[in-house]
Amino acid sequence: MAFSLTINGHRHTVEVDSDTPLLWVVRDEIGLKGTKFGCGAGLCGACTVHVNGQPARSCLTPVEMVDGADITTIEGLANDSQLHPLQQAWIDQGVPQCGYCQSGQIMTAAHLLANNPSPSREEIVNAMTGNLCRCGTYARIVAAVEAVAGGVGHYEPAGEDA
Amino acid sequence: MTMNRRDFLKVSTGASGSLILAVSLPGCASVQTGFQPDTGEWKPDVWLELTRDDNIVFTLARVEMGQGTYTGLTTLIAEELDVNPARMKVKFAPVAPEYRNPLYGLQLTGASTSLATSWKPLREAGASARQMLVMAAAGVWGVDAGACTTEDGRVVHPNGIDSLRYGQLVELADKEVIRGKVALKPRSEWKYIGRQVGRLDARAKATGKAVYGIDVDLPGMVYAVMTRSPRYGGAANDFNRNDIIGLPGVRDAFITERGVAVVANSYWQARKAQQSLQVDWDFTKAIDLSTDQVFEGYRQAATNDPGARERSEGNVDKAADRATKVIEAEYEQPYLAHATLEPMNATAWYHDGGMEVWAPTQAPDLGRIAAARHSDLSPSAITIHTTFLGGGFGRRLTQDYIEEAAAVAYQLKVPVKLVWSREEDTRHGFLRPAMLHRMKGSLNDGELTGWHHQVVGPKILDWYVRNAAPAQYPWAPKFLYDTLGRVGLMAEGIATPKDISAIEGATSYPYQVPNVSVRHTHTDPGVPITWWRSVGYSHNGFAVETFMDELAHESGEDPVQFRRKMLDAEPRHREVLDRAARLAGWDQPAPEGRARGIALFQSFGTYVAQVVEAGIEQGEIKIYKVTCSVDCGQVVNPRIVEDQIAGGILFGLTAALYGEINFDGGEVRQSNFHDYRLLQQHQAPEVIVDIVDSDAAPTGVGEPGVPPVIPALGNALFALTGERQRRLPLTA
Repeated sequence: MAFSLTINGHRHTVEVDSDTPLLWVVRDEIGLKGTKFGCGAGLCGACTVHVNGQPARSCLTPVEMVDGADITTIEGLANDSQLHPLQQAWIDQGVPQCGYCQSGQIMTAAHLLANNPSPSREEIVNAMTGNLCRCGTYARIVAAVEAVAGGVGHYEPAGEDA
Repeated sequence: MTMNRRDFLKVSTGASGSLILAVSLPGCASVQTGFQPDTGEWKPDVWLELTRDDNIVFTLARVEMGQGTYTGLTTLIAEELDVNPARMKVKFAPVAPEYRNPLYGLQLTGASTSLATSWKPLREAGASARQMLVMAAAGVWGVDAGACTTEDGRVVHPNGIDSLRYGQLVELADKEVIRGKVALKPRSEWKYIGRQVGRLDARAKATGKAVYGIDVDLPGMVYAVMTRSPRYGGAANDFNRNDIIGLPGVRDAFITERGVAVVANSYWQARKAQQSLQVDWDFTKAIDLSTDQVFEGYRQAATNDPGARERSEGNVDKAADRATKVIEAEYEQPYLAHATLEPMNATAWYHDGGMEVWAPTQAPDLGRIAAARHSDLSPSAITIHTTFLGGGFGRRLTQDYIEEAAAVAYQLKVPVKLVWSREEDTRHGFLRPAMLHRMKGSLNDGELTGWHHQVVGPKILDWYVRNAAPAQYPWAPKFLYDTLGRVGLMAEGIATPKDISAIEGATSYPYQVPNVSVRHTHTDPGVPITWWRSVGYSHNGFAVETFMDELAHESGEDPVQFRRKMLDAEPRHREVLDRAARLAGWDQPAPEGRARGIALFQSFGTYVAQVVEAGIEQGEIKIYKVTCSVDCGQVVNPRIVEDQIAGGILFGLTAALYGEINFDGGEVRQSNFHDYRLLQQHQAPEVIVDIVDSDAAPTGVGEPGVPPVIPALGNALFALTGERQRRLPLTA
């Protein structure tokens, strides 16, 4: 079946089985590999993208449920050549180790800050705790989110209708 | 093929005068070096490539799986080349003897050895290239080379004004010959080593651009999933092929040595088709055991066979006879999965008489053997492309996932990507072996006079040598592969390194005790095993440091003092112990409802002491704080050291709290992150990492953070509850 999606501001039509998870559409049909497959069960958060501004586990989101939706992936977070402040903070804090979970971590953090520009540490931890990191970068993640929350304030990600 | 023209390169790169390689290397290098007029590239050695337009490319032969080689090793060569590491481009090494890990004679990344083994060769390579560039510039100017300096990719004239870019000098530099040894920079002149160099891979990883194995994409690529025997060792007899090949998108389905492969146009179509699969399994050779049976078997083996004598000083039996108190304990530690966040995967393409494989692997040369085994190709017809690894932790030293992709690709004429599901990754992995430890300590009026440690369990090399031995002799005919594996095992300790995977950390017991005995009872239940972050140290650390705590308690002494007085000959152990205790406020009582535990453990050359502060909240173990002192010799990148140690601590805590792969009738019970849990953000304790300033040779940091935190937590829980837990994972 054909589905129409707006991904990072670009319109795409894809021909796939209707129950295909959004994750595999984004990765293999559109070719945006930044969104990762970790568990296929919504347990790890590596596949987190934004659907109409809300974080979603793309591994559990059938494409038929997001027909016509606006999707933002890690590739769409930067504004032209300007990195999202969280991406810059991730680099400055040296957050990633293996890095595999970090797209999902950043997408979750971006949604948090879009709705709560200056979260407390507890709010950050609560928002981020559904995203697993096997390397144990949790403390750096909190530090990076705090650096942005303390320094930049509200930020509207590119490619999303806020 | 160009002969390698410089002796110094033989010395620096040919640290491949490896310990294991009995057959000498062919007389010419397999990596072409020198100047290429057509491309304007100068390769002073197998590590570096400098171009006329000032691109400087470093070939990284130790894969990046989070542990920081991408930054750390680049920093070493950049320091001596005198270029900002951030300006260097990094590419992953192909398979070649020059890129072998000199400790193993294999091109593998593991055992926290990357920095230690690269420390000298890479700095020498950078220094040599720099020296040749300086000599070339001095020739141009007609000045003394010794009076020239360098500054971030330029050679500077003695007048301090004129300079030449490295790119301008590459062609001339190639003609320079260095006589004698190149001097390395003194520590005081380092600009990058020991300083905060940001992770060079952070940008790619924060923008989703880093390419992991699972991200490889090729034109016309199809997707495969493998259905493996639910019990290890089983084989597919038959399956309902006619039902499968008619399903949407399915291209093919067939039996391989590893199971039934379903190939489809998309990953999802392959997964869906897999749901309809009905396989007739032959379980004749399959395992059929439960975890309880594994430990029952271990206990029987321990009783029947005292084990090989691995260390012996004095007489532990006499010490026990004379002791005022003899304490015995038995510790059980379960099988553990690695749970890399990137599931196992590989992409293979059989074309033009050869095969290309793209894979996140810790051992590309073993991957080449694995692919050769499952095709009729020779290793030389197989090219391995290494990617970033979404975690390794030892799992990707075993190449089963490459075997699968190669077997499938060999049947097809198009590129194929094979991806494991999380459930498959949890159920069909190679595991950290379950282990049993029997301990016996003799106390004489509070003094520890006897230490007996019996380690019971399998050896990892038994499972590994199958591909490792042929990888060392890639020109050997394939019919010899299994022979090579057997010879490798027979020659263990002679032609191959002794397999210390079961006993490492037990034999290195550091405390001064007059009577010490360490034995290993070798017994293998047939469950597939491999290296797991910190390997033998992971279970021996728990046994040794928990038992030390038990003995301290029995002798009525403070756990720090009890250890400390037996460490007169081990100043580096004592230093980290003292520092961790001091930083954690060991002498002060823990806050209400909490208790502290300590452990001290050396692994991979690195000394680590940790204090865990824990409590029990709402029926669950709560870890508040981990204070860690570490001595890893010279620090190359302080932040990466801190992050590796802190990451190791969380890895160890995950194992201590949740880690358990259990078998029932030969099948793994766990499947995904709901029943094989990882520590989450809200459970992560505060971690303080204190690094000892040292100019001793650098040692590993990827693994040493793991072992001590498990006993330190157990010891804290004992201090809290008065109940000793001798089986992992720990419970509230």
